[in-house]
Amino acid sequence: MTTRSRSDEATAGRSNDPPLLILTSLAAGEKHGYALLQDIEEFAGVRLGPGTLYGAIGRLEERGLIEAVGASGRRRPYRLSPAGAEALRVALDGLRAIVDVGSARLAGSPAALSPTGSAA
Amino acid sequence: MSPARTAARLLRLYPLSWRLRYGDELETLILDMSDGGRVPWRIRADVAVAGGRERLRAAGLGGDSPDARVRGGAGLVLWAWALLVVAGAIVQKTSEHWRQALPAGSHTTATVAFDGLIGVAIAAAVLVVAGIALTLPALTRFVGAGGWAQIREPVTRAVAITAVFVAATVGLVAWAHGVSPRDRQGYDTAYALVATVWALLGAGTLGAWTLAATRTAARLTLPASLLRVEARLATAVTAALGVMAAVTAVWWVSVATVAPTALTGSFGSRGSAFVPQLLLAMVLMLVALGLAGAGARRATRALPYLADDD
Repeated sequence: MTTRSRSDEATAGRSNDPPLLILTSLAAGEKHGYALLQDIEEFAGVRLGPGTLYGAIGRLEERGLIEAVGASGRRRPYRLSPAGAEALRVALDGLRAIVDVGSARLAGSPAALSPTGSAA
Repeated sequence: MSPARTAARLLRLYPLSWRLRYGDELETLILDMSDGGRVPWRIRADVAVAGGRERLRAAGLGGDSPDARVRGGAGLVLWAWALLVVAGAIVQKTSEHWRQALPAGSHTTATVAFDGLIGVAIAAAVLVVAGIALTLPALTRFVGAGGWAQIREPVTRAVAITAVFVAATVGLVAWAHGVSPRDRQGYDTAYALVATVWALLGAGTLGAWTLAATRTAARLTLPASLLRVEARLATAVTAALGVMAAVTAVWWVSVATVAPTALTGSFGSRGSAFVPQLLLAMVLMLVALGLAGAGARRATRALPYLADDD
């Protein structure tokens, strides 16, 4: 049987993946839930729901990609762990490869040269 | 309703362990996002769906990694099997006297369908037992490594409800000896009521063990080769469930065509083949089939992404 590499939420490479968005947001520094939502909406234009956000936070924390700052609290901040930084780097490399290939292909595409979409 | 109360209600959709860890933070976030007013429906729906997802994970049926998807899929099939057992028990109870009630020579189709149902049920039960048995070495290693504490709660609960069910069975059997066959068919209201509670307790016992099994399976270290076998067993059980639902329908229709009163028991006089219990059994079978189909699909689709065993 053909075996592909293990699928990984954080490295799935989908730009609207909550885990990827959270890791990207935390790369700029620690944040609590509400600040994460605001930041994600600002840089990605994606409005995550609170349940979706904390579902993803739970998975990321479980896998050691992020960690809570402080013992407890109702607005507990989170920060990127070294493993999370590495996972983010891998995910962004994957996205960058797609962007590079897509951009190169688009540049040579007849559809991109003609505003009507027909080859010149 | 105040936003705080709505948030507290929404949090109840999550498992207790999750609430203890993230409950305060999520509640605060819901209130922050509601800005002092009513909690928007978009937020309520998002939290409700996420809570359901966490419940599934806690029951060993959720998770995003390929091996969690295979386990979760196989677990869903196990839940479907448990539902099928309940449906089968209802069919068995309803079909106690159908053979005697049919005119001689008129029940070939019904007999073939019913015998087929029994045969496929036994085959599917063997597959389910095989799927459980294959995980026993991993379970032994898990318990040996101190994992008992992680599964003590669901297993203890299942043992406790089983003890209550066994005691109730002994009491009901003792009572049944003093009740006439006619009253046992539902003509004694008190007996019928207690028998219904007993049946619900039986279904609860089955559910408690199924929950214990799926929660335990979620914690075991299972090699990819075994997960592949489990996914195929889950697919085979799903196919068996489909056959069982189909032959039950064929049996019901064939009996209803020839002798409508046969399904109302030997004391029945209502003359209708639309016995509510059988209708319930068919609905349960179809729900089980839907669950199993979803589970088998989830497990099978994750197979190509499983990492090879070292």
